[in-house]
Amino acid sequence: MSRFATLSGAWMAWDGPAPAPEDAVLDQTRELDKFLAEVERRAFRIAQVSLRDADDALDVVQDAMLKLARNYGAKPSAEWRPLFYRILENGIRDLQRRRAVRKRIMVWMPGPKEDPDDEAQDPLENVAAGGPDAPELLMQAEAMRQLEAALRALPGRQREAFMLRNFEGLDVAGTAAAMGCSEGSVKTHYSRAVHTLRDQLGEVW
Amino acid sequence: MNEPIPDSLEERGRQLFDASVENVDMRVRSRLNQARHAALELAQRPRSPFLRFPVWTSMAGVTAAGVLGIALWLGSPMGQHALPGADNQSNLEDLEIVASTDEGSGDTLEMLQDDLEFYDWAAEKSSAADTGSVG
Repeated sequence: MSRFATLSGAWMAWDGPAPAPEDAVLDQTRELDKFLAEVERRAFRIAQVSLRDADDALDVVQDAMLKLARNYGAKPSAEWRPLFYRILENGIRDLQRRRAVRKRIMVWMPGPKEDPDDEAQDPLENVAAGGPDAPELLMQAEAMRQLEAALRALPGRQREAFMLRNFEGLDVAGTAAAMGCSEGSVKTHYSRAVHTLRDQLGEVW
Repeated sequence: MNEPIPDSLEERGRQLFDASVENVDMRVRSRLNQARHAALELAQRPRSPFLRFPVWTSMAGVTAAGVLGIALWLGSPMGQHALPGADNQSNLEDLEIVASTDEGSGDTLEMLQDDLEFYDWAAEKSSAADTGSVG
């Protein structure tokens, strides 16, 4: 166990008012920086796949970073990943709920209908034009676009299980912690997601 | 870049996702960087000493202060007057003092009668003295 983990573990167990030693706080901040730098872009892409909007995805990721730092920064670093993704998935779900409510209200309102799903970013926009690998990149972008479309067609929990297990590489226990469900549920959701995706993408891929 | 396409859907999906992460544009990277620094700043900021205590500690403190406040209020004269039980008890005590007899000095009404006789006598003496001095 690292020195930081030992210190932070003792700190959490004691839960007293005395501040942590200064060097432990610095170690903790460095570790948190490293962790967030490692996950930020992956988290953004996961949020973007679910929300189909870059700005909303950025907001959700930023919120997750702040909440993790404020509420769980003192936890052992091994616990950060499932906690971070749990916060992120909760944020995504909250935003999707708000959108659903707004959509229902907009149906009854006069004027142009606003649908954030229509503002989805085209993955081809991110591909640099020209260059030696441009055709390969375009193929990848197109394959990813199809995968994203198939993922969005999945039920929310199956999509979460697939992205956390497959994209983020969380194990079953970590995915269960991030999703707030049992390991058995994770296995079921993941298996169904893979089955459906294989049915939909099998011929294209 | 021309890697063989993996057979497994899961492996292929993972590779595509990793590639899409690498292609995240500079605007997004910059905003993520800002968000990370804001989060780290927040993590370094010392929390208020009050927030370091667990919730139950705060609740226990509030409860103890409440109990102490009630005890002090009940102990004060205001608190005693406010209670109907204490008021009745106080009135009864007053009645007992008025009705009680002091064994050494006789009845209270008897004392009052003695006083009236004394005032009568003093008034007679006073008027007699006045007459004598004139006459």
